[in-house]
Amino acid sequence: MSTSSDGGNDQIMARMRALLEESSTEEYDWSSITRETTFEEIGIDSLSILDLLYDVDQEFGVPLEASEVIDLRTLGEFADLLVERQKA
Amino acid sequence: MKRRVAVTGLGMASAIGLEEETVWERLMAGRGGIGEISLLDTTGYRVSIGAEVDSEEVSSRLSAMGRRSIDRALDLAMIAGDSALRQSGLIDGEPPYEPQDVAVIFGSGVGSAESHHTAFTAFAKRGVRGLRPTTVPKCMYNAISSGLSLQYRLVGTNYMVVSACTSATNAIGAAARMIRDGYADTVLCGGAEGFFDPFFYGVWNNLGVLSTLPDPETACRPFDADRAGCVLGEGAGALVLEARDVAERRGARIRGEIAGYGESSDAKHRTSPSAAGQARAMRQALEEAAVEPSDLAVVNAPGTATEANDECESRSIREVLGDAASRVPVCAHKSYFGHTLGASGALETITTLLSLEHRTLPPNLNLERPDPACGGIDLVGAESREIHSPWAMKNSFGFGGGNGVLIVRGPDGE
Repeated sequence: MSTSSDGGNDQIMARMRALLEESSTEEYDWSSITRETTFEEIGIDSLSILDLLYDVDQEFGVPLEASEVIDLRTLGEFADLLVERQKA
Repeated sequence: MKRRVAVTGLGMASAIGLEEETVWERLMAGRGGIGEISLLDTTGYRVSIGAEVDSEEVSSRLSAMGRRSIDRALDLAMIAGDSALRQSGLIDGEPPYEPQDVAVIFGSGVGSAESHHTAFTAFAKRGVRGLRPTTVPKCMYNAISSGLSLQYRLVGTNYMVVSACTSATNAIGAAARMIRDGYADTVLCGGAEGFFDPFFYGVWNNLGVLSTLPDPETACRPFDADRAGCVLGEGAGALVLEARDVAERRGARIRGEIAGYGESSDAKHRTSPSAAGQARAMRQALEEAAVEPSDLAVVNAPGTATEANDECESRSIREVLGDAASRVPVCAHKSYFGHTLGASGALETITTLLSLEHRTLPPNLNLERPDPACGGIDLVGAESREIHSPWAMKNSFGFGGGNGVLIVRGPDGE
């Protein structure tokens, strides 16, 4: 899987950052998130991932199932999956 | 099958503390938990006071439990439940825990107010697209009981009792009956409320039963002639109930017993109480415990500080206790906790147990001029009192006409 840090992936990370900042109730410095930031660090657990997937579907038009992302650890891995699905 | 029901764990999240020792110290020092509301902007509201749980302490306890805040009522229930389970010795160390055959029966009159408010706000702003998927599991009433079950892997049944201000007392009563009749050995029970949001506080603001007295420290005055209504409070109380023989076999510390339970409905009015309905529940509870009114060390009353409620329950106490009414002290702990609605029965049952254990009744706050309309009962005043009997009655009477009464036995009640 691509781990490129340019082009569409960077744009996706920026949109993800804006989306998390708007929707999360966690106190976090959202400007500091990177591809290496983990879901755990930003307070995304097995319950709140459902909200994140819903928000992502609204924002990107890409429906993802919780079972597809359950093993992903970082936002970068998540962004890669999004890019892959957008291309599909 | 009739088994004795022991209390082996107590836990609280309240405006006068999250630790049992702190709560008892505040009770004995006569330091209540009512202040100006900080959890919402009360501009434009007629009242602006309430009994809030310290939010920094809540965050710190949740963090120590490895949890993030989900909903205020659930958060407070988790803290109280965690304390009760640890004190009972059923939980030790960090998750993951081994599954245990423990049931969870909790009460709440309001449920997940914070989650409802978040969802309403999002819906008003973005329409149906604003309603995120977790709105359902967060807003369901049993978010509280199922949250406790999930966190501690308690595999007995879990459900909620919803009966306004009687919720927690009904939950404790139902739990005690389950154990008494052999359907469960151990039940985590209690009640939780976290409702300081603009909508819920607003509807109570407009109901006209909240005290408009300006000084938070003296605004809640149960049974006082100058009382002006109740003051809302948030909080949670949790008790681990256990079959006494099971608790003794494992060497658990026994904090007391639930010896009797009575319940009834007024079937008369949605918000006005009925002394007859209350009296029926009180008599049932005394009969089940085989306790005479003169045996009671205390009646822990609802004492909401509304004009109608205090007068009505004075009447039902006089009616049931008869000649003993003038000699059995009456406590009203909402002067400390505020009215925690569906959690009040749990918090006040716990303070009743603590009173029996310490053989001391903490003072009632702000009872300076007992209302003659509440006469004929022995109201505890500004001084604490020693007690010499192991028996207590805890009453809860709620909107909707539901009445729940527990007879509680102290730890030295042999």
